[in-house]
Amino acid sequence: MSDETVQLQTQTDEPDAEEHEHEEHGSEEHASSLGLSNMKLAMWLFLGSECLLFGALISTYLLSKENFLREVQAGNPEVVSTLDKLNEVDPEKYAEVIETNSVFPIFDIPFTSASSFILLMSSLTMVLAHKAISEADYKNSRIWLAATALLGSTFLAGQVYEFTVFFREGIYFDGNLFGSAFYTLTGFHGVHVSGGILMLLALLILSSRGKLKQDRAETVELVGLYWHFVDIVWVLIFTIVYLIP
Amino acid sequence: MNHTPEHAEHDHPTEKQYWVIFVVLAVLTAIEVAWSYIGVDGNALVLPLIAMMVVKFLLVGGIFMHLYFDGKAANGKTYTYIFAAGLFIALLVYLIVIASFEFGI
Repeated sequence: MSDETVQLQTQTDEPDAEEHEHEEHGSEEHASSLGLSNMKLAMWLFLGSECLLFGALISTYLLSKENFLREVQAGNPEVVSTLDKLNEVDPEKYAEVIETNSVFPIFDIPFTSASSFILLMSSLTMVLAHKAISEADYKNSRIWLAATALLGSTFLAGQVYEFTVFFREGIYFDGNLFGSAFYTLTGFHGVHVSGGILMLLALLILSSRGKLKQDRAETVELVGLYWHFVDIVWVLIFTIVYLIP
Repeated sequence: MNHTPEHAEHDHPTEKQYWVIFVVLAVLTAIEVAWSYIGVDGNALVLPLIAMMVVKFLLVGGIFMHLYFDGKAANGKTYTYIFAAGLFIALLVYLIVIASFEFGI
């Protein structure tokens, strides 16, 4: 082969090699000057700001609950009357709330524990979905994504059921401070879970159309980060709101 | 050794390890619930619950969100710092709100 032919051959090979490299490191072209993925950095910034939102909501809940219980203990008729329906529906529970001066008896801890377990399990299925797509195991990644969406929906259904029970017992959003803060905190979390489920369904659709391949595993990782964050927030809510009286 | 992001990717846990972490999380949740029913009060009730909550938080954040493994890559701790900053400010906001309500600051 002459030198000229070799040179020509090299010139024609170069774009292919570049393209191949581009395919292999698809996500790297979006790397920041730190060598980190811009998308991932943006997601962590978003999650950092979400800490502020949930921090504020949890703080508001704790203060509102404290204020509510103080008024109940002081016998403020305006506040105590917001529990009249609870007294009608479940006098035992009402008596326990007044006697212990705590909202703890209102909660159905075994039921919420099961919900928490379901959400924890969804974190496992999410991480397995990411692992599967990283290894180009598309079938399993779809199975785990569907399982995560299903578990998230089950958690959400549990939350709706819990709200229904509370509503039946006269705990309304505009009834008293405790009700307002509780529905706002858990409702915001529920909205986040719903958003996560929509993202998971979008990933499922993309994957079933063959548009979610190994080179886009980072997309699954980003949705996973969001999903785990929602789980982490529930870890805090479960202990602070439900378990600590 | 200075890990590149690719190296850190290879350091990620196996499927079996993810299952083990999940079992630990589930057991901790069960202990938390049992502890809340055990009949202890005050700090004896609250402190272990907070401790278990923190362990669960670290396990999900460190293992499932890969913060522990990403931290091994060059500049990988940036993610942890960003998240920790959010948590720190949230905690600060909480303390300021508590102080303003409780002590009228």
